[in-house]
Amino acid sequence: MSEHTVSTVDEIQDGERKLVEVEGREIAIFRLDGEFYAYTNWCAHQGGPACEGSVTGTRNAEFDREELETDLEWCKEDEILNCPWHGWEYDIPSGDCLSRDGTKLPGHPVKVEEQEIIVSL
Amino acid sequence: MAQTSSHALADTTVIDTDVHITVEEETIAEYLDEPYRSSILDSPHPVFPSSSWDQRMGGKIDDHFSTFTGPADIRQFQSDFNIDYPIINTFEPLGKFSQPDLAMSLMRAYNDLLMDRFLDDYDFLGLAAVATQKPAEAAEEIDRMGDEDQIVGIYLGTSGEYPPLGDPSNDPIYKAAEDNGLPVVFHGNGDEFMFDFPHHNKGFNNYFEVQTLGHPWQQMATMSSLIGEGVPAKFPDLDFVFLEAGIGWVPYMMHRMNKIYRMRRSEVPLLEKSPEEYVRDQFYIGSQPLGEPNGAEDMKRMIETLGADLLMFATDYPHWDFDHLEELDKYLQHYFSEEERQKILYETPVEAFNLDL
Repeated sequence: MSEHTVSTVDEIQDGERKLVEVEGREIAIFRLDGEFYAYTNWCAHQGGPACEGSVTGTRNAEFDREELETDLEWCKEDEILNCPWHGWEYDIPSGDCLSRDGTKLPGHPVKVEEQEIIVSL
Repeated sequence: MAQTSSHALADTTVIDTDVHITVEEETIAEYLDEPYRSSILDSPHPVFPSSSWDQRMGGKIDDHFSTFTGPADIRQFQSDFNIDYPIINTFEPLGKFSQPDLAMSLMRAYNDLLMDRFLDDYDFLGLAAVATQKPAEAAEEIDRMGDEDQIVGIYLGTSGEYPPLGDPSNDPIYKAAEDNGLPVVFHGNGDEFMFDFPHHNKGFNNYFEVQTLGHPWQQMATMSSLIGEGVPAKFPDLDFVFLEAGIGWVPYMMHRMNKIYRMRRSEVPLLEKSPEEYVRDQFYIGSQPLGEPNGAEDMKRMIETLGADLLMFATDYPHWDFDHLEELDKYLQHYFSEEERQKILYETPVEAFNLDL
């Protein structure tokens, strides 16, 4: 595993992302609530550029069996990445795919040293 | 009447998940209150509308249907077709009726008739008819019928249902079925094509086109609606049975719903797993009318894809497109283990209908 300096902290505002190329691979750095996350720009579905997709929230639901009512809740605002090809959803903090259990974005360790963002591949 | 040539059948306990009884209008009238009794008997306007396609093929095939009206007919059928346990239903799809109170009255009348003429004095198993026009009344009827030991499920025609059957307005029905430990059985109907697909009913020029599409379109619409509305997630102890569209549509739907779900998960957030998992965990499929591939290996692969945990045998007798046991069993005996065969013919329906045999 090798370390690569891919950006300075100032280049990525909170809620923003930066796409870089490291060893021929497209890597996206996301900044969310002060934390940095790095993923390969590759959707587990059909290899689409997942990390270039829109960032939104998503919907959860709970069913009250006694009242027979479904409560829909908009949640995880700004934490959900949607692949621009077919809309597969990924949770940015964990990399977990919400569309298919057991699937993740390929993630990479990130650290910040002296205002520089370093990704390990 | 067809006779089986296979000696192996005599050693196999067979459950038939789809046996219809024919109820003549004068007969159901005896179980109806006014004004509907007189409407059925005396009015020149037909109470039971249909698409009026010719199901009897201009008289080319035998009419097993119109005389199949009593317990003795079922006994004869059991003997002729090697069926140990027929699960019988009163057939009439009730979704097409635009008068809600008529539909409710017919629902109760069919169930009274089923008990009175078929179950009280015989050991048959039966499905309780349910009409969805007034879901709270339907739930009360499920509670009433749920006390009967020989009632092993509720029966819903999938033709003429509006809104589609997964709609939350039907949740009282599913809740009552789950509370009573009764699976929900969905049954498609070719002759009611016009209620769901009026443009195609008018546009098609022969019954070949209608019969090809009627049952699977209705069943696909129902399965899509159930999954899309999260019904199996809302009622995790409820099972769903689909009859009369064959089996080939089920792998297609599982795989297609998986694909659409993964694109649109946030639209159906009640679902906690893939549509295929819900189908495999809570759905059962009757075999009839089994498709007829030109190559037998294609059917082998289809049955393998579904698996013996989902698949159950059904004849649909006495309707014109019934399957003899041999139709499915030729594949089971040739390609599958005796354990798998026993599952499909006996153990899987025992599990689906919670039978205590």
